[in-house]
Amino acid sequence: MTDDTGAPARHGEPIRCHPSIVVERSLSGIVVLAVLVMQLGRGALPALLAALFVAVVLFNYRQWSRTTVRFNETDVVVERNTLFKTKKTLPYAKMASVNINRGVLNRVFGTARLQININSGSGATVPEAVLTFSEDTAEGIRAEMAQRLYGSEPVSDEEEPAEPTVAFSPVDVIVHGLFSVSTYQTVFGFAFLAYSVFQLHLSAGVGGTALVSLLMFVVVQVAPSVSLISHYYNYRVYRRGDTIYLEHGLIRTYKTSFAVSRINAVRVKRTLAARLLGRSCIEAEVVGLASGSGESLRPALCLLKDDASQQRLLEDLVPEFVYEGAREKQPEGAKGVLRVRAAVASFVLALAMVYPSIAVYRATAALPGTLLPFALPFATAAVVLVIWYATRVSYRITEFGTDSNLFTFVNGAVDRETVVMNYDRVQTVRITEGPVARFFGVARGQVYLLSAIGGASVGSGYFDESRLAAIGETVMERIASGEYDYRKNSV
Amino acid sequence: MLSMYIDYAVWYLLLLAAYFAVRTYAERFLGPYYDLVGYGLVFVLAITLVYIAVAPPVFYARYRYRITDDRIDVRYGVLVIRHILVPIERVHQVEIARGPINNLLDLADVTITTAGGEASIRYLEVDEAEKVADRLNDLIGRMLRERVPGPAGA
Repeated sequence: MTDDTGAPARHGEPIRCHPSIVVERSLSGIVVLAVLVMQLGRGALPALLAALFVAVVLFNYRQWSRTTVRFNETDVVVERNTLFKTKKTLPYAKMASVNINRGVLNRVFGTARLQININSGSGATVPEAVLTFSEDTAEGIRAEMAQRLYGSEPVSDEEEPAEPTVAFSPVDVIVHGLFSVSTYQTVFGFAFLAYSVFQLHLSAGVGGTALVSLLMFVVVQVAPSVSLISHYYNYRVYRRGDTIYLEHGLIRTYKTSFAVSRINAVRVKRTLAARLLGRSCIEAEVVGLASGSGESLRPALCLLKDDASQQRLLEDLVPEFVYEGAREKQPEGAKGVLRVRAAVASFVLALAMVYPSIAVYRATAALPGTLLPFALPFATAAVVLVIWYATRVSYRITEFGTDSNLFTFVNGAVDRETVVMNYDRVQTVRITEGPVARFFGVARGQVYLLSAIGGASVGSGYFDESRLAAIGETVMERIASGEYDYRKNSV
Repeated sequence: MLSMYIDYAVWYLLLLAAYFAVRTYAERFLGPYYDLVGYGLVFVLAITLVYIAVAPPVFYARYRYRITDDRIDVRYGVLVIRHILVPIERVHQVEIARGPINNLLDLADVTITTAGGEASIRYLEVDEAEKVADRLNDLIGRMLRERVPGPAGA
């Protein structure tokens, strides 16, 4: 048995992870214990907590010293010989991806995390194995495993700088961070900011309510944007053979690769702000890319970029998902359903606002020269107008299209999304008709796919039931005729 | 139908308990909204009662499932009608499940799991559920056996 010393692992030889993993795992414990000592630091308690910390370190040391990894010809075996013995066998044939990411501690210790994901709907959000090795060892193992997973591409090329089709500047990354966040989230965030400013203005000082609102603005708006900018910093994407490679990250760096055959659907997204800037981004539904660190599991194939560059990248990276068939608008019946929905929403809103409107009117009617007594009715009327406008836009932009290999849904009155799917990746098809939709002779479809979080569904607008049923029928025809090749699509 | 009625009755009792809890303890918390919330809850209770009375026979009359050599079709619903299609090719797991009420009535649900979602055939007699599960397992087994001579899947 050997420790991880930086030399590439030999086949079948059991090796241990890098010893720095003991520090990594113990660190979270020391933070918790330090907080406890600061809060309850009297009497014998600090000594007890210190002993507890030593126990945690010893426990992690024992876990590390008794855990071995073997890279065999056909599988990877992770074995832990502690009180709770485990032996995990991960066959190469079932692996979806092998990726590397490096956090701050990894950089301090010169290590990298090798993350192995298998093709599984259950537990898709967590990698099956996370192994810390010295950076060189991790890179070597990954290159060797990538060759097994992705076929005959020369692994040595991976280190050579590939020329990406589209380059992303730091400005692109910042624009993506700021404007790829959903419009609803942005509105919500800025509402908190406005309320906070309003409170500051009223109280002429930093009060509790203003501070909470400001904090909410940071949580809802600023933090996701900063997280996205940090996540996609230095973003680079390219395709070699049938494998797509992604590299990005500021604090934690990511090197991710996956076979094109693992992509189940491609989403072209345009938030309202992005549309105003003439930009769009591409995301892919890929299973087996979990990093276990809570970030978005849906890899971006293109950050917010001008539409022409986005289209060029789509054609170069995933020509298999370029939909060139015709698209149809929703039938006239859909207009009726959408109008009924808008009417019900408007009625419920108006009903809910009656009592508060009267209360505000009574409280503020005595104030001279102000519109405050009528603020709520005006606001309600404005929201009702927005509901009807969104209904009109939704009817206009929702589309559905099918061709021999692909089908597509276009949705979203505010944040627009075009999803292109391959029939061979469809797991189940669900068609739903509510009472109003039945009256107008339309239905909605939901297609279930394997996704990065296990399962995901993509919904359509309102179309004739027979048109939506054609998706399922085409899936069945492709299976029956042999067009569907289970070897390429097996999960 | 009986299983559905019992199921609904249990939920309705919980809803009633919530209603009485609100009426008894929430007067100070709700203040001027107390009566309004009370009337709203009574309205919800009345609508739910009508739904509970009507839903099981409608659900039963509409419920259809069909298993062929290559697909499972399930059509069900009371107000909203759903049609689910699951290709046999995509089935990963077949499970027979019985809750305490179904256990009393000798009923079972068959849940069919794919990599991207699941479908259920509900309220089957236990023997029928076993037959359905066996049939599905046979179909899946046959499909896999047909694939054995070919190269291993990705």
